[in-house]
Amino acid sequence: MIPVRYNVRSLAVRKTTTIATAAGIGLVVFVLASSLMLAAGVRKTLGLSGRRDVALVMRKGSDAELGSSIEDPQVGLLGSLSGVRRGPRGALVSGEVIVVAAMEKLGASGVSNVQLRGMTEQSHELRPQFKLVSGRLPRAGADEVLVGQRLRGRFRGLDLDGSFDLRKNRPVKVVGFFSDGGSSYESEVWVDLDVLRTSYRREGFVSSVRVQLESEGKFDGFQALVERDKRLGLQAMREATYFEKQSEGTSLFITVMGSVVSVFFALGAMIGAMITMYAAVASRQREIGTLRALGFSRSAVLGSFLLESVLLATAGGVMGAAASVAMGTVHFSMINYASWSEVVFRFEPTAAILGQSVGFAAVMGLVGGLLPAVRAARIAPAVAMRG
Amino acid sequence: MTAPMINLRQVSKSYDRGGETLKVLQALDFEVASGSFEALMGPSGSGKSTLLNLIAGLDRPTAGTIEVAGTRIDTLGEGALAKWRANTLGFIFQAYNLIPVLTAVENVELPLLLAPVASRERRRRAETALRVVGLEDRSLHYPRQLSGGQEQRVAIARAIVNDPTLLVADEPTGDLDRASADDVLRLLETLNKELKKTIIMVTHDPVAAERATVVRRLDKGSLA
Amino acid sequence: MNLASFAARNVLRNRFRTVLTVLGVAVAVVAFLLLRTVVYAWTMAADFAAKDRVVTRHKVTFIMTLPKRYVDDVRTAPGIKVVTFANWFGGKDPKHDTEFFSAVAVDTKSFFQVYDEMRVADADLERWQTDRSGAIVGDVLAKKLGWHVGDKVTLESGIYPDDPQNPWTFTIDGIYTAMAKSVDRSTFVFHWDRLNDRIATRGQNEVGWIVSRVDDPRHVAETSLALDRLFDDREVQTLSQDEGAFNASFLAGFSAVLRAIDVVSLVILVIMTLILGNTVAMGVRERTNEYGVLRAIGFFPRHIAAFVLGEAVVTGCVGGVLGIVLAYPLIERGMGRWLEENMGVMFPYFRIETSMVAVALGASVVLAGAAAAIPAWRASRLRVTDALRRVA
Ligand SMILES: Nc1ncnc2c1ncn2[C@@H]1O[C@H](COP(=O)(O)OP(=O)(O)O)[C@@H](O)[C@H]1O
Ligand SMILES: [Mg+2]
Repeated sequence: MIPVRYNVRSLAVRKTTTIATAAGIGLVVFVLASSLMLAAGVRKTLGLSGRRDVALVMRKGSDAELGSSIEDPQVGLLGSLSGVRRGPRGALVSGEVIVVAAMEKLGASGVSNVQLRGMTEQSHELRPQFKLVSGRLPRAGADEVLVGQRLRGRFRGLDLDGSFDLRKNRPVKVVGFFSDGGSSYESEVWVDLDVLRTSYRREGFVSSVRVQLESEGKFDGFQALVERDKRLGLQAMREATYFEKQSEGTSLFITVMGSVVSVFFALGAMIGAMITMYAAVASRQREIGTLRALGFSRSAVLGSFLLESVLLATAGGVMGAAASVAMGTVHFSMINYASWSEVVFRFEPTAAILGQSVGFAAVMGLVGGLLPAVRAARIAPAVAMRG
Repeated sequence: MTAPMINLRQVSKSYDRGGETLKVLQALDFEVASGSFEALMGPSGSGKSTLLNLIAGLDRPTAGTIEVAGTRIDTLGEGALAKWRANTLGFIFQAYNLIPVLTAVENVELPLLLAPVASRERRRRAETALRVVGLEDRSLHYPRQLSGGQEQRVAIARAIVNDPTLLVADEPTGDLDRASADDVLRLLETLNKELKKTIIMVTHDPVAAERATVVRRLDKGSLA
Repeated sequence: MNLASFAARNVLRNRFRTVLTVLGVAVAVVAFLLLRTVVYAWTMAADFAAKDRVVTRHKVTFIMTLPKRYVDDVRTAPGIKVVTFANWFGGKDPKHDTEFFSAVAVDTKSFFQVYDEMRVADADLERWQTDRSGAIVGDVLAKKLGWHVGDKVTLESGIYPDDPQNPWTFTIDGIYTAMAKSVDRSTFVFHWDRLNDRIATRGQNEVGWIVSRVDDPRHVAETSLALDRLFDDREVQTLSQDEGAFNASFLAGFSAVLRAIDVVSLVILVIMTLILGNTVAMGVRERTNEYGVLRAIGFFPRHIAAFVLGEAVVTGCVGGVLGIVLAYPLIERGMGRWLEENMGVMFPYFRIETSMVAVALGASVVLAGAAAAIPAWRASRLRVTDALRRVA
């Protein structure tokens, strides 16, 4: 085999060209990795929101909590079904109300929807990751709210001790911020259930009911009980499944968009690599001829040039992937189609994504370098003798 | 007695090579009479090309004055120097240096693109120059379709198309076989005798030097 | 031969490389136009919004409804021409489970007056207005689901209960076409009265939103404010926005996506510049000796710079034109048609914006120049003797 050192040197000698080509490939990898990271962030944020041992009950036919409504007496009924875990205050069941409110954005013009959730005493127990990060918990029945930490500083009034109007002349005060292990709840505002219902004239109704099951395995039985009674008109799904479904559209959109763009970009960068490698072959004809005359086989030459191209592309890929890690600090807020409200996502750098992206770069190098390498392999030993 | 075509006074040239200065020419005085055909010989690295480049205004001396065809060229600006080269000088290279994408006649025509000459007239002059070097039947050939000797003759045609007073040639026969070299030398002789061109030619070839009217030797930056 | 034709000869000097570079630029231009078209299609609804149309909805959240009485109050307010109202129905055809479209319950008398860019044949419109189970659908939706006038279709709502005894079955009475680019051609509209009668007394006589047209589009902002003041002390407060402002506030939710696309469009231009710059730099390196010859013959530094720049600009320009020529069928025929049919709500009109074509071409020329600037400058600055000593 022709030593790798030979390839590394020849890349180093042609500095400008090597850097330009690698930078092009690096940019492609940066875009690809970033979009995959964002899609992963969406899946993670929404995926963390749901638990497998919690059943989410909504009105039959509802795709999202926002559009569902369940009468109060049915909440009690759901709590009495078998398979539901019981705590010191009775069945672990929480009927919650979801509304979205248009709030004024800070740092950008216009308003955007924020999801408000009416919470019960049981709500926190159904969310074991919940943590107060600053301030205090609201007093029951008071006009006080908790704000998810990702909303901090993004909307007018959502600061500690700030306030905003739930409806005209019904201000509520922000008393604390909370975290929930990175889930989409961190993009919500939590209000006392009754405060929210009276302000929005939703007395007697909740949007959805969360039910803590005794174990994951109890779900199928519980679901059968809920859906058998046609008069109830309800459906049950695992909370985790619900959020997975919510993330599908958005993460698919980002993945598709990112992939389409990356394919075009990759085509461009591959052409760049091809230009560079053809030039490398052309300027080293004599050298290649000499190597062939010395007894190196065609396949050794082919392999050597492919390797050089892959090296070049991988170097670019590593740069791009490294740069994309910096995106991990960027917040990305976007409407979640299912709730029509803003959710704040993070770019989620995972080893798999970074690996894939660098692998993609290597493939670009392989494909881009193929034709030039074939040309190099066809150079006859006699070329070495020509002037 | 007419003024010399080339007149160098106390010319020095040194190059910076990684911090240390390499003194190639030192306080050189050098004159070439108008209408002469001179050969410059000397070992490799003695500064022949350096001297030629100074005369041709391709490079500037570190010290000293250079007057060529009545012009002080060491003080000319870049633009004026380029214009002066286009009008006064024909340069012949060892490696011919024809432009591969242009035909023979187009290569010859190239220097005329800089002058305010109508395109028909340009073509006519280029063809005349080609006739002088005996290649009128090859005018539409590309350089790769010509032999080395033919290529060099096209290059000579390119050097004379502007009707310069001075021809400068750096080892014009260095890459040629004997017969082609003789052709080229004969041609230079004709140009000197019949068209009265002053020629200064660097060469390693004693046969070539014989054709010249004056032969000089340069060794370690000074004339012997 | 003249200076320009001499320069042109050099463009085809390394034919293969030039072809590859042109292709690279073309691909970049296609990608750029694709991204810009996404943004354009997305934001166009805001730009093409009817300037004289005001949407009035619940002040706090659009999922809550307004009392129907408010419609009359709006109608009698000063400066208002016509008023209509609607409720969101959601809905999908269970036979086409994966196709989502907007189904909306509307006031039959006024809806097509307010939305006059949606055109229905007069005869169909009259029949629909008297047919309580009738519906009018967009032409794109009808084509996609194979619906024809006279067909009966059954929908499921995500919001209103389905009753097997009394299914939501409609007769297609007519098909509307769009007179403006921003119209979603996949909407399904039916009688508001029918929906209202099916709703439990508690939620009856509520409307999702009210849309009105004002007499004078120049005063649309004042009129909107006046409408909201009208309901300031009533049980439900309203938020009135003209259509442009409404769409803009919707878009604000996607501003991060739009910004990301902007960044990515810039990235592709940078990649294009790198490809061009690389090619130019290689050409210059290989031809350094030749530039030395030209300078020795008497060419000026600016001639050399012009040759390098000219070559790059011609390459960029050809690549740009090729990219534009490829982009039209690819974006408008291929992707555009698919998106308009399948994602008409977001992309009712997925076509290349003409001004972007000029931008793309301009960018490929200007960036080619920029990519060549440094190599050109360097080539022109070369010392003649150094250039001549360099063997390619
Ligand atoms: N541009 C330059 N930079 C540094 N050294 C140079 C340069 N040009 C010539 N030299 C050096 O100057 C000396 C004379 O060179 P040259 O004039 O080409 O010699 P000759 O033509 O007689 O063989 C050599 O040692 C050469 O290496
Ligand atoms: Mg020499």
